[in-house]
Amino acid sequence: MSLPTTRTGPDAVSTGPILRLESVGRTFRMGEVEVEVLRDVDLRIDPGELVVIVGPSGSGKTTLLNLIGGLDQPTVGHVWFRDRELSRCSTRQLGAFRRDEVGFVFQFFNLVPTLTARENVQIAAELVDDPIDVDECLRLVELSTRADHFPSQLSGGEQQRVAIARALAKNPELLLCDEPTGALDYETGKLVLSMLWDVNRRLGKTVLIITHNQAIARMADRLIRIRSGRIVEDVPQERPSKPEEVTW
Amino acid sequence: MSLSALDRKLWRDLRGSGVVVLAIASIIAVGVACFVAMRSAYHNLGEAKDRYYARCRMADFSVELKKAPLSDVSILGSLPGVTEIRPRIQQFVTVDLEGVDAIINGQVLSLPDEHRPIINDIVLRRGGYFTGGLEDEVIVNDAFARHHGLGPGDAVHLIMNDRRREFRVVGTAISSEFVYLLGPGSIVPDPARFGVFYLKRSDLEAAFGFEGACNQVVGRLSPGVRDRPDALLDRAELMLEDFGVASTTPRRDQISNRFLSDEIRQLGTFAFVMPAIFLAVAALVLNVLMGRLTEQQRTTIGTLKALGYSDGALYGHLLKFGVVVGLVGGLVGCGFGHLLAGVMTGLYRQFFELPKLENRVFPGVMATGVAISIAFALVGVARGARGVLSLEPAEAMRPKPPEGSRVTWPERIPWLWRALGTGWRMILRNILRNGRRNLVGVVASMMAAALLVTSLMGGAAIDRGVEVQFSLIQRSDVDLGFRDTRGRAALLEAGRLPGVDLAEPMLNVGGTFRNGPFEKRAAVTGLVPGARLTSPRDAEGRPVAVPRAGLALGKTLAEHLRVGPGDLVVFEPTEGRREPKAVPVVAIVDSFIGLAAYADLGYLSGLIDEEFGVSGVQLRVDPRPDRRGELSRELKRLPAVRSVGVREEMIASIRKAVVDTNAAATAMMVAFAGTIFFGTTLNASLVALAERRREVATLLVLGHERSAVGRLFLGETLVINGIGTLLGLPAGHALFWALIRTAQTDSFRIPTASPWASFAWTMAVGLAFSLAAHAVVARSIARLDLQESMRIRE
Repeated sequence: MSLPTTRTGPDAVSTGPILRLESVGRTFRMGEVEVEVLRDVDLRIDPGELVVIVGPSGSGKTTLLNLIGGLDQPTVGHVWFRDRELSRCSTRQLGAFRRDEVGFVFQFFNLVPTLTARENVQIAAELVDDPIDVDECLRLVELSTRADHFPSQLSGGEQQRVAIARALAKNPELLLCDEPTGALDYETGKLVLSMLWDVNRRLGKTVLIITHNQAIARMADRLIRIRSGRIVEDVPQERPSKPEEVTW
Repeated sequence: MSLSALDRKLWRDLRGSGVVVLAIASIIAVGVACFVAMRSAYHNLGEAKDRYYARCRMADFSVELKKAPLSDVSILGSLPGVTEIRPRIQQFVTVDLEGVDAIINGQVLSLPDEHRPIINDIVLRRGGYFTGGLEDEVIVNDAFARHHGLGPGDAVHLIMNDRRREFRVVGTAISSEFVYLLGPGSIVPDPARFGVFYLKRSDLEAAFGFEGACNQVVGRLSPGVRDRPDALLDRAELMLEDFGVASTTPRRDQISNRFLSDEIRQLGTFAFVMPAIFLAVAALVLNVLMGRLTEQQRTTIGTLKALGYSDGALYGHLLKFGVVVGLVGGLVGCGFGHLLAGVMTGLYRQFFELPKLENRVFPGVMATGVAISIAFALVGVARGARGVLSLEPAEAMRPKPPEGSRVTWPERIPWLWRALGTGWRMILRNILRNGRRNLVGVVASMMAAALLVTSLMGGAAIDRGVEVQFSLIQRSDVDLGFRDTRGRAALLEAGRLPGVDLAEPMLNVGGTFRNGPFEKRAAVTGLVPGARLTSPRDAEGRPVAVPRAGLALGKTLAEHLRVGPGDLVVFEPTEGRREPKAVPVVAIVDSFIGLAAYADLGYLSGLIDEEFGVSGVQLRVDPRPDRRGELSRELKRLPAVRSVGVREEMIASIRKAVVDTNAAATAMMVAFAGTIFFGTTLNASLVALAERRREVATLLVLGHERSAVGRLFLGETLVINGIGTLLGLPAGHALFWALIRTAQTDSFRIPTASPWASFAWTMAVGLAFSLAAHAVVARSIARLDLQESMRIRE
């Protein structure tokens, strides 16, 4: 059974939060020991927000992103995407959720090495009924001229832009980015950030970025700090900086 | 319709892992090729036989007599179950060909003066049937004619009943009763020394005084009786008792049919056993290799899962990989198998004179081959795919955690561990920490080695058999067979032939052995005490004295009859008064050809109511060519001689026949086993290299030579293949014995031969193919992009 999908364009009128986490905890068993990676996390993200979650390595950022993206299930607590409780979804339902609602951007790009840039975008577009045109996606990330290149022929920044195009192709409501600049140099990192900014501001997508880079937080509508598995700060920013103003 | 991105990925993945995929496919291909080749050859042979038998109206039985009037044998036709009979005349003759010194034996057979369909009909190959002209005409069997360059219009001289007569060849022919044509005393066809000559019945009647008579009846039976002719043949024997029934032969015992049917039966067994072994290896190797190939897709699969691809879609995608590999393996295997079937069928054509013995395509066999191949590949992929897909996407996207770092057992032996260099420590740790997958490597090389040992031992055993039979047991240079049993005078006459140094008599008496429900037709060879030219041997090759009273039975015959030394066995001879007599079994001897049984010549003569019977003489002769030529010329003139067997020629024809076949079979086996060694090693090493690229790159960056790094992989290969090969030696030895038990027939028994040479060759072949595979791996290491490899995430 697949869940009803909610498609949202830039002009969509949203009601209520797009994401809601209540008393979420995640514990991993590593051999004899239980490690509590997340505890008591309460979080609410509204449609169209650009949220940056900042925290040092091992603070639980990626685990939080995995729970939000339906890649993992909490040990305790509840995760809602709109009115759908992800924490009670089956593996198949989570798959459908990821397919229809989420676009991922990973630190190490995770492109399929044997497919060209265009095909890497296409492989995502083929998953949904009303994808954004593949070439349009590549144009958005300014890679039209490199469409027929394989990942090994692209720079790190270009690969990450392909990954953004891939995430966009499904026309998802939510874009989840795990350290999107982590493997990139300063200039390229900034270029990628400006693209994510565009995706949020121009296409109206909800964008959630996790990073250990404090500087990036300045471009967020809302900044969430996480430390040792807990949210220690959750503040809206009245006047977020544009990516070109961000330096580190 | 354009390919989906996922299918394009599949296609590029396949192309990208070309060598590995090819090596895997080649292992399946070998199994399928073996299956297709043997099944096709089996069907080729079986169908050609059936068609040919139907066309020639092959007899279901024959009765051999001294001489019987046609009016008296016609009674056989009225027996219930007998649908048709044909009396005929057959005799053995000596053939005198222009310019050929050697003795040529021949069998003459009567045919109706005018052509009409008959039982055991001939199929004309060249020329035509008898013309009815005044000239003496002959139709010669085609293989003999081809060998001696005879054709219609040529002359042939036959020495029949003391007279040398000239015949004009009108045609050459083949017949279903001589698919495997053996001369007296030989075990392989030799068209140089033996031929069949079809003469008009009227000619043979006149030449041998057989007007209105025959000495053989061939007949056909109704389908119900065809499979159980024994009771009927017993009745026939009783009815014709007065005419000296020498033997009754159901089709299953007819020599040519028996060889052909045995071969088909054996091929049927081998066609099941050999491919099963290859396919088992293929399945095992595939299981691990495909699993590892799938494992390499782990991150990609994790990402695709994160994107929203369902497990089902990805499972299907990975299975397609297996389908393609299986399809490639299956199709290549079918093609290669068809070629091999052609080679095998071609070899059979050398032995079996079968018309339309062609290599045909059997769609059912091919389809089964491809289906097996795909199924095996799918099983291989399914396991790996399940493993990767069972992971949560978040986990799958992370590279596989390094293998455990548990302490291996050699590390617990401090002195041993200290004695090993760093290289060997790495090799041993890698092997022992990946026990399961390396075990598969061991099993694969064990199977490959076992197959090689089995095949090589076959060749060694045949050599040993020929050596024992013709150096130890049968030591005469020339064996003469007489037309009928003679007395002492024949021996004395043979002793006076030119160039003869030693002449020893022998008496062959055919008959039936019985022990309770066990019964076997065989012949007893009578030898004089202290005979030097035939020396029965025991299993260890030591001479066994022929008992003064009683029998020394060959092992095969003794096993048939379930008797051992001290037991009594009933022997009913087909000569003399034919009274069944209880005879003690005194000794068991070893023999590889035929069902041997020996007795004292005087004792055996007594059993057939003779005083001193001689049916043949064995000669040791002067080896000088001029003396041998003189002997040959003299022998051609002796009317009493039915057959002449020359040891050297016999050995040569056996060697030629057996060596050719065996060389082809061994070459095939070396190629197959080599593919397993090569394919398994290559795959294991290349996949390991892919998994350990960063480790390899690090070693290279640290300054290790590429060859030194290559040696780490070579070390692992050699240890794994070495252990496998060593285990394969005894396994192959055991397999050899298991297989020859099924290959054993009354005509041949395969002797024990020392396995050491086969072992040594197997190790050499294993090493050679392992090194060849390593050369490819070394090349991959040499081409490794260091920067790229160092960037791999861990």
